[in-house]
Amino acid sequence: MNIMNKAKVVLLISLSITASGCSSLGVEPWERDLLSKKEMTLTASPIDSALDDHIYFSKEASSGGKGFGGGGCGCN
Amino acid sequence: MMRNKADNKNIKAALTIATAALLGGNSTVSAETVNSTDDSAWEFDSAFLFYSEADRVSASEAIFNAKKTFEDDEVLNLKLTVDALTGASANGAVAQPNVQTFTRPSGNGQYDVAPGDTPLDDTFRDTRVQINGQWTQTVADDLTASGGVHLSKEYDYLSLGINGNLAIDFDRKNTTFSLGFSYFQDTFTPEGGIPKPFASMLIGDSSDPGWDEEFAKTRIGSEDDKTTTDILLGITQVINRRMIMQFNYSYSMVDGYLTDPFKIMTVVDNDGLAQDYVYESRPDSRVKQSFYAQSLYHFDTTVLDVSYRYMWDDWEITSHTIDSRFRIPLSDSFGTESYLQPHFRFYQQGAADFYRPFMMENDPKPAFASADYRIGEMTAYTLGIKYGRLINNGHELSFRLEYYRQTPTDAGFDEPGVLKEVELYPSIDAIIAQVTYSF
Amino acid sequence: MKNNRLVSINNHQDGYALNFQAMASPCEVLIQTRNRQLAVRVGDVVANEVWRIEDKYSRYDQLSVCSIINNSAGQAISIDKETYLLLNFAEQCYQLSEGLFDITSGILRKAWHFDGGEKLPSQAQIAACLSYVGWPQVQFNPEQITLAKGMEIDFGGLGKEYAVDRAIILVKELTDLPVLVNLGGDLAVTSARLTNIPWQVAIEHPDAHGAGNSSPTDMIISLSSGALATSGDARRFLLKDGKRYSHVLNAKTGWPIQDAPRSMTVVAPACIQAGILATMALLQGENAEQFLTEQEIKFWSRR
Repeated sequence: MNIMNKAKVVLLISLSITASGCSSLGVEPWERDLLSKKEMTLTASPIDSALDDHIYFSKEASSGGKGFGGGGCGCN
Repeated sequence: MMRNKADNKNIKAALTIATAALLGGNSTVSAETVNSTDDSAWEFDSAFLFYSEADRVSASEAIFNAKKTFEDDEVLNLKLTVDALTGASANGAVAQPNVQTFTRPSGNGQYDVAPGDTPLDDTFRDTRVQINGQWTQTVADDLTASGGVHLSKEYDYLSLGINGNLAIDFDRKNTTFSLGFSYFQDTFTPEGGIPKPFASMLIGDSSDPGWDEEFAKTRIGSEDDKTTTDILLGITQVINRRMIMQFNYSYSMVDGYLTDPFKIMTVVDNDGLAQDYVYESRPDSRVKQSFYAQSLYHFDTTVLDVSYRYMWDDWEITSHTIDSRFRIPLSDSFGTESYLQPHFRFYQQGAADFYRPFMMENDPKPAFASADYRIGEMTAYTLGIKYGRLINNGHELSFRLEYYRQTPTDAGFDEPGVLKEVELYPSIDAIIAQVTYSF
Repeated sequence: MKNNRLVSINNHQDGYALNFQAMASPCEVLIQTRNRQLAVRVGDVVANEVWRIEDKYSRYDQLSVCSIINNSAGQAISIDKETYLLLNFAEQCYQLSEGLFDITSGILRKAWHFDGGEKLPSQAQIAACLSYVGWPQVQFNPEQITLAKGMEIDFGGLGKEYAVDRAIILVKELTDLPVLVNLGGDLAVTSARLTNIPWQVAIEHPDAHGAGNSSPTDMIISLSSGALATSGDARRFLLKDGKRYSHVLNAKTGWPIQDAPRSMTVVAPACIQAGILATMALLQGENAEQFLTEQEIKFWSRR
């Protein structure tokens, strides 16, 4: 009986976390003041990213992940 | 009328006080503007980067990017990249207690490496031109599609590529799923041709009448190619007003010629002395997968950007990358904005299963082997700082200076004889300097 | 003009535009709401405040505080706190501009007629006017002001911007919704628009004719907070022997400032700051841009 109760409580807690987790994610359109800033975009500086990707692609064994890792140069 | 800068600063400050007195302290809000000369005008980014390794290669790279946003939010992006590389690059052989002589990859001439030095081929010289075009548009209310083409040409390399991406927004655009695909077709035409895997490097007098014929025996063709297919699945989630996260999974298949035709390996005897140099050989396919997570958090004024990538492949390479940036605005309430952005990156990778720093003379010949330190075990970090300034008419000028250090590490290979005395895993230090101007 | 005091309401994108005439300019209040009642109320409050300031400080209105001071013929005139604060602000501007900006310099208009023609005044005419120019001769304290006979003050260089700032203060007491107040091109916003988009403001090119339709050479500025003001007027100048005389006068010499930009737009937290900085920049002539650059103020100039 005790065990049963415990399992139920755990389940309820995990459910409520999921439920509240879902409903609290995201913002209303008028709350996007900070998110709309350029520095809050996922690739705030595409030029820097492109240059970095090229450097690390040619110097390390990994590439991509954020975007396409692809080929594109004979540098490795 | 002569005024120095300090006086002028006083004008701004004095005016702020005078305004507060007039309007009753209601003027403390700051002005925030973004401007463009025209909604549908072109935006340009130009950047110049200089990369220099101590005693090894240095590269210059220039990017010019033009972006036009049309009335219905369609975006055309055109990018031109030009880079030039010169200097010395590790040829894969190990240092020895005596002078070593190597044949240049083209077969024309030899070069010597001093005792104890890591063998570097100093004939590296390449110029590359790359053109990218990308078109992005909204196809339905919550659906954005994008397609692009890629062309990159070097003296000995041609790469053609296409890509496509679909992004679907959910929940007031708080959640975005994206699906991307890219395909590259590369052709490699190295000077001197494609070397035969594990063939011994021919060393001798290249002006000898029989040289060309002998050299040709170490070659299997003049060109080879490879294809790369990438699939990228992503989810972007707005967490709250201050935070956004992204998670990506990518699957990449590379097929074809994946060997580096310029890389060789030293074959040593039990005393660690070089007996032969053979051309490396890698499998003709590689499947890479990665998981990527990124989070941006906006504090009161600063922004923290942290990402982590875990990559694994069927060459048994695994890697961890942590990349972080912290943007500190240095703005005032009159519209001038500048920022400082420290950058830290940490990278660690395990070796490919066929990586070995050298080969033993008496060991059975493996199916594949490479001594390229770039697929060996290594740790690397980057420390950098960027200063950016928004100048008038919406232009931005920024400077970036970074220090990059690669430390190849020993994955537990025995070091016979003289190899104990030489540096098998030399570190590489590089400086990266960049200027960007956006207008 | 007072018989024309009406506020019209129109749909504007995802909100309303309230339009009225004041200070010889088309005025506009944009509010991003579907609540028409609130929009009307905000429009009324703004229009009434702007008209109140116009009535109080217009030099054309014989009943205005400004006219009473100008017609005082050397007598002390008692003033209220608002007037004192404005005079105090004008004093600061005079000091900060080292005498280039002077609200007693309006009298020079009697010599200069910037009608696009080529008739320049004589030095004697200018000198005659200049003897009535000089802010230091104005005596004022929180209770009263004394102006020498023949001198005049003119709030024209401050009034519109001040009205914008006052309007924003009143609007913020009414609503948290995004509102833009535009009085003939001098404007301020209470916040960025909902859905995170900044307000898009078109600045008319000096050569553009007529208001309303934006020509392709208009400059678009996005504003998410604070204010913008523009100084300079393309239609007010003299042209003689191929030389352009702008209506921006040096209060010390009585002559137009040379080589000034045709217009200067400045951004600042408050509209009155933006306006005075733009004017002070124009008064620097060819050094206008340098003046603002040195102070690290964002601007857009047109020459």
